[in-house]
Amino acid sequence: MRTRADTANRIVLFLLGLLLVAAGGLGLALSLGAFGDSRATSPVLPENVRTFPAKETWFWWALAGVALLIALLALMWLIAQLRTNRVSRLDLTTDVREGYTTLLAGAVTQAVEDEVGGMPGVTGASARIHDHRRQKLSLRVGMTDTTDIDELRTQLENGVVAHVREAVGDPELPVDIELRPDVRRTPARTVR
Amino acid sequence: MTATQWFTRALSALVALALFLGSLLVIVEIVLAAAGRGPWLIRYPDWTAWIRQRSWNDEVVKAILVGLVVVGLLLVFLAVRRGRPATLPLRGRTPGVDVTASRKSVERSLAAAVSRTSGITGADASVRRRSARIEARAASRSSSGLRQEVEAAARARLDSLGLRRDLRTRVRVSAGDRR
Repeated sequence: MRTRADTANRIVLFLLGLLLVAAGGLGLALSLGAFGDSRATSPVLPENVRTFPAKETWFWWALAGVALLIALLALMWLIAQLRTNRVSRLDLTTDVREGYTTLLAGAVTQAVEDEVGGMPGVTGASARIHDHRRQKLSLRVGMTDTTDIDELRTQLENGVVAHVREAVGDPELPVDIELRPDVRRTPARTVR
Repeated sequence: MTATQWFTRALSALVALALFLGSLLVIVEIVLAAAGRGPWLIRYPDWTAWIRQRSWNDEVVKAILVGLVVVGLLLVFLAVRRGRPATLPLRGRTPGVDVTASRKSVERSLAAAVSRTSGITGADASVRRRSARIEARAASRSSSGLRQEVEAAARARLDSLGLRRDLRTRVRVSAGDRR
């Protein structure tokens, strides 16, 4: 499952890569004489470029500003790698005048895991609730290789999903289910 | 997550950290220079002196530029590479419920289904976005019709999974057990 961080990573890495290719390619073209032999033998840091910052004092502060912007963007990018968007409590408050109602997400996921774990053919289950634009339940179900997927899906979608949607008071709660047929835990068949 | 996604995430964290620390270092050096202090960690007077002596056609400059292009191309390749999917979507039934099957488990499941075919001693399966490749090992050389049986077993398994996108199956049966 691709997350928003994965998409951001691909975009940023692509742009950084493109920047490096463009800068390196342009420099290589210059050094190989594509813009004339005089350019190829000219210094990498010409005198007018070297003395420019000394004459223009604003230059260094502008550079510091750009560095600060890059540092902030890099920090946001770094935090995005660590963010899981996992929810610990669900707010079920309908009217604040009557008080607040919260539900521990762990209690919901534990109930889901217990219900799924008791189904025939299921070898294990893990559930998590994320909040990315809206709350979503992610459920991983390990099952034996011989389990009837059609029947299991019916039990999951008509039973577990309906129960969890009722518990959190959201009849349209999005649910992602990942089925993992587990050959290693499938009872071996012996043919004589 | 696939191995590619893990690698991309680790690389992104490293690049982000390097950009963050590097940018902070630049700010510190600028502030120190404005206060009339010498360099702290970046020996920029030495760097400036070194680069002043270089022209564009110097071998060392060319080597650095080639390095930039190579690293840039690697980053672009990593960003556009789709790789094999971590999960395969199954046909939807209930609104708001997305059901997938992990690719690795589908591969194991396919290999196990094919291995149950009479005359087959073992099998490996590899699933991509549009196709599934099955390599089965037959017990003996007399394998007429075995390929069709293997393909039927693989198709039956894929049908029972109910994948949203039909996978093309490519089957190869080799004679003799490699073990």
